[in-house]
Amino acid sequence: MAKVTLENVTKRYDDVTAVEDVSMEIEDGEFVTFVGPSGCGKSTTMETVAGLTKPTEGRVYIGDDDVTTLAPKDRGVAMVFQNIALFPHMDVYDNISFGLQLRTYEDEEIERRVEQAADIVQLEGMLDRMPDEMSGGQRQRVAIARAIVRNPDVFLMDEPLANLDAKLRVHMRTELQRLHRELGTTIIYVTHDQAEAMTMSDRIAVLNAGKLQQLAPPLVCYNEPANRFVAGFIGSPSMNFLEGELVDGGLETKNFTIGIDHDVVPGATIGDAITLGVRPEDVHLVEYADSLTDPTDRISARTDVLEPMGDEVFVYLLLADQAERSMDQDPASSPNQLLMSVTPDTDIQEEQSVDVVLDRSKIHIFETATGKSLAHGIVDRSDQESGPTATEAE
Amino acid sequence: MTDPISPRDDHSTTASNAGPTRPDGGNSTRADGGETQSRVFLEDGDAELDRGPLQRWVDDSIKNPDKVYRAMFYTAAIFFLVTTLFPFYWLLMVALTPEGQLSDIILTPNGFNPGAFIEVFQTIPFHWYVFNSFVIATASTVLVLVVGSLAGYAFGRLEFPAKVPLLLLVLVISFFPPAAFFIPLNDLFNTSFFILEPITGDGTLYNTPGAMVLPLSAIFMPLAIFILTTFYAQIPDGLEDAARVEGTTRLGALFRVIIPLSAPGVATAGVLTFIAVYNEFFFSFLMTDGQPESWAPLLEGILAYQGQYEVLYHLMAAASIIGVIPVAILVIVAQEKIVSGLTAGALKE
Repeated sequence: MAKVTLENVTKRYDDVTAVEDVSMEIEDGEFVTFVGPSGCGKSTTMETVAGLTKPTEGRVYIGDDDVTTLAPKDRGVAMVFQNIALFPHMDVYDNISFGLQLRTYEDEEIERRVEQAADIVQLEGMLDRMPDEMSGGQRQRVAIARAIVRNPDVFLMDEPLANLDAKLRVHMRTELQRLHRELGTTIIYVTHDQAEAMTMSDRIAVLNAGKLQQLAPPLVCYNEPANRFVAGFIGSPSMNFLEGELVDGGLETKNFTIGIDHDVVPGATIGDAITLGVRPEDVHLVEYADSLTDPTDRISARTDVLEPMGDEVFVYLLLADQAERSMDQDPASSPNQLLMSVTPDTDIQEEQSVDVVLDRSKIHIFETATGKSLAHGIVDRSDQESGPTATEAE
Repeated sequence: MTDPISPRDDHSTTASNAGPTRPDGGNSTRADGGETQSRVFLEDGDAELDRGPLQRWVDDSIKNPDKVYRAMFYTAAIFFLVTTLFPFYWLLMVALTPEGQLSDIILTPNGFNPGAFIEVFQTIPFHWYVFNSFVIATASTVLVLVVGSLAGYAFGRLEFPAKVPLLLLVLVISFFPPAAFFIPLNDLFNTSFFILEPITGDGTLYNTPGAMVLPLSAIFMPLAIFILTTFYAQIPDGLEDAARVEGTTRLGALFRVIIPLSAPGVATAGVLTFIAVYNEFFFSFLMTDGQPESWAPLLEGILAYQGQYEVLYHLMAAASIIGVIPVAILVIVAQEKIVSGLTAGALKE
């Protein structure tokens, strides 16, 4: 058990910077997930912890030891790989005990530990099978057993569930959480699947283009994203973004204006280009506005396409005339489109005029130029607490 | 060709009605049925022709190419089997023929003298020569596999500057005729080195296994490096990473994971090297004085049956057959390894 500290870690390949100046501190026993799109540097960051990649700059500490230049075998880490990476020429027992046999352990000790590890991942009776005789989930469990059998200080998991089918993935997700609870070991977990990140981790590290965007508990990343990238990456379907401008007494986007006192957006002045972000579940039909403590004025729109998901229905709203709809634009950032999520029993059809309102307390304001988050919630009634900036209000 | 109707079945029907229905008119009358003309029609897809056996055979083989491939396979296989196995058969016939009746052996021995296989060991210590060859070939194979594995790992799995030029340089070295190295090497191996004196007595490598192992390993190394590079490059990175995280060094991962998984490639490189060194003539003949105690290899032993006044052909033949046995055993054993390695393979990433 140990904490893991990254200090200004940078990894450059010939002309590509895979990881840029990443610093973070992962507490002992914590479950931290690195999440981000493909090529964002999350795997490279993990490899610097494992020792498979040496950082160009910066230092890596496990516990209090500087392990930056240490070989992987001397770091006390264990890793589960995306491609599982069981040794195909060894049976399950030899695979699990591979690391122990390289060290000076008594045979009985090895046997006891392998059986214990196999017990934890429920692999009893399969120790003499070959990896190619096992199913994907069983192989993944062998890989996990191989990692836990050495009692490592830190577990590294590089997309361990990516090659499993959807049902098994959900099952293994809970298994891993149970495992973390039982072992209490520090776990660093890499995934591009935000559902895994949200459900399993104590904290999420969102990376993009080699830079750490935010390191915070899942719900903080969801409710108070540090910037537009995190806001768009966390949450499915993605947050709606509407570009606009801060004007006197309001927030003006292409198709509607929300009246606010501009003081609620700290660090921005009138005339600044801002981006308004709102999640689909915070867009409501005007009929339900009464249930909100703080709705905006009504915004008129036209329904376009409905996507019934069973537990909810996604409604694509067009804010402007259909003629202005442009298909080639990224729908998430189209100025004319708004995605709304409603309950399945809502009476709504395609091609219908509707009025919607937004939940003011759930509106996010980002600086358009930098994507930096300016405010979460624009609750600005003067009778409430004096000038609550968003972050404090949450 | 695309016409589904077999020409033999429907020959009469088509001959009677082909003319009127054919849009291209004139050529459709089949009465003269010349070969060139029928081929033209064959390619046009109008196959219903009155043809001789050759044409039918051609048509049939175009429709069933498998039949032709099978015939070609048997032809080639029989050709190679005869050209490789018949000399062995003849060697056996010569070996079994008693001395003095060796002329005019065609397919059967002139007499029966299996004692020749004992006599080879009584005339000279032939087993000693076989042992020498075996030691030299084994040592060369081990050296080639160890050094070739390290080189193969570097070329196959690491990125470093000038990798491709270096690999090409290795290849270029293998283009030189080995004879070009002989004179300088012979000179070198006859030079006395002080540090070698405790090992070889007079300080030279001449008349020691080193005089054959060193140059022969170097000559067969490039091929082994190429084979091993190809195999090692195919092992998924994840397996090496896993081994390293589990506690091996890079070298440990090579020997514990990469080489076992590349068993077919290692076996191939090893068998090729062993056979080549075991059978090698040029260096083996010139780097010793031909005495078994001077590490003279197998073929010096075979040549030792050639005296000043007589040549014991039947003993040379028997010795040749005996000399082949170790290699034959090796190939059979290694082949099982190669086949099992290939079937167990399926290295899914």
